[in-house]
Amino acid sequence: MRTDELIDRLGREVTVAQPLPAPGIRTAMWTVWAVSFLVVVAVMMFAVMSSIAVTATPLYLVQQSVALVTGIMAAHAALASVIPGTNNRVWVLPAIGAAVWCVSLLWGGAVDLQASGTLGVTRQSDWPCVVSMTVGGLVVGAPLIWMLRRGAPLTPGLTACLAALAALSFANIEACLTRPHAFALTVLLWHGGTVAAVAAICALTGRRWLRWPALRA
Amino acid sequence: MDESPAPDEHLARLMARAQQGDSNAYVTLLRAITPRVRQLVRARRGFLGESDVEDVVQEVLLSVHAVRATYDPARPLMPWLSAIVRHRLADAGRRHVRQGAHEMGVDDLDVTFQAPPANSREETFGDSDALAQAIQALPPGQRQAVELLKLRELSLKEASALTGMSIGALKIATHRAIATLRRALRASDER
Repeated sequence: MRTDELIDRLGREVTVAQPLPAPGIRTAMWTVWAVSFLVVVAVMMFAVMSSIAVTATPLYLVQQSVALVTGIMAAHAALASVIPGTNNRVWVLPAIGAAVWCVSLLWGGAVDLQASGTLGVTRQSDWPCVVSMTVGGLVVGAPLIWMLRRGAPLTPGLTACLAALAALSFANIEACLTRPHAFALTVLLWHGGTVAAVAAICALTGRRWLRWPALRA
Repeated sequence: MDESPAPDEHLARLMARAQQGDSNAYVTLLRAITPRVRQLVRARRGFLGESDVEDVVQEVLLSVHAVRATYDPARPLMPWLSAIVRHRLADAGRRHVRQGAHEMGVDDLDVTFQAPPANSREETFGDSDALAQAIQALPPGQRQAVELLKLRELSLKEASALTGMSIGALKIATHRAIATLRRALRASDER
């Protein structure tokens, strides 16, 4: 087919395409959804157990705040990465956030070691959290994937990885709310491992589910 | 003083109108950006042949069409367009490398022997009128598939983009059309 014919064809098929809101606005919309999910989980915990499962120490609050901020930054970076012409280094801020989250958990591990003489790595397995984070991540992440698919899949692997980090950061908070963790290093290994594994799978398979939209006749 | 708008501002305005569904503005925009896209593709991918360059240009135009909602009319158009070109070029480069790794160049070889008995009847079929009639008699979907894929020699992807049919459906339609044509031509040949 000649390029001129293609242009005529596209011209005939053009319909109204309202510009997408800015990534910041779309991030805010998704954050409302993700925070609502956490509120629903917290309310259900209160309804079932008359309390949430954790004691809110200052370090715990720092860890959850960092996870929250990392999730929001990762969602913003993912949504910005599907807009052509935005900065190529959108991943830097979420990466810093994830690193700070790891450091805060390592710091928690040092505190645990001082208090109880052990890091507790072998004392507590955390498979329920792996399951709950994966399910929670799907619930939180589904609308984000839908939003991303309306954009341009310029870097599908990176975008999918950032989306996984965003969803699982919130799912991590949900898992920390619903299940007490005696040792910070358990959280780092099991929650961090889940985030890393899911993000890696998403990065590898992103090209399959973030594709250039097909043209309809 | 009457000044014509700067090219990029003009393109941005055309795109804003295209996003509202203005077909004329859209065609004008696509015609204006096509030479720029072609230039960018040629500059960055010297190893591509002329037909490959045109394939990438068309791929970029299809991508622009598919994601035109991601353009913010308040921003200049060219950085947005350049990013699409850059990434589509990277895709084309990856494809080029993949094909190079799996394909091997060979000399031109005769696919049949020279002697007439060695050549099948289908290959020597010469009644173009009967063929045209047989194509016209095909069901619309099959006829469209044959016209696009066999006569106009579009790729499956291009034909899919034009018709809205999936690649699988196009393959099936073509397969059935060829079988129908073969039967029809054999019958006309026997008469």
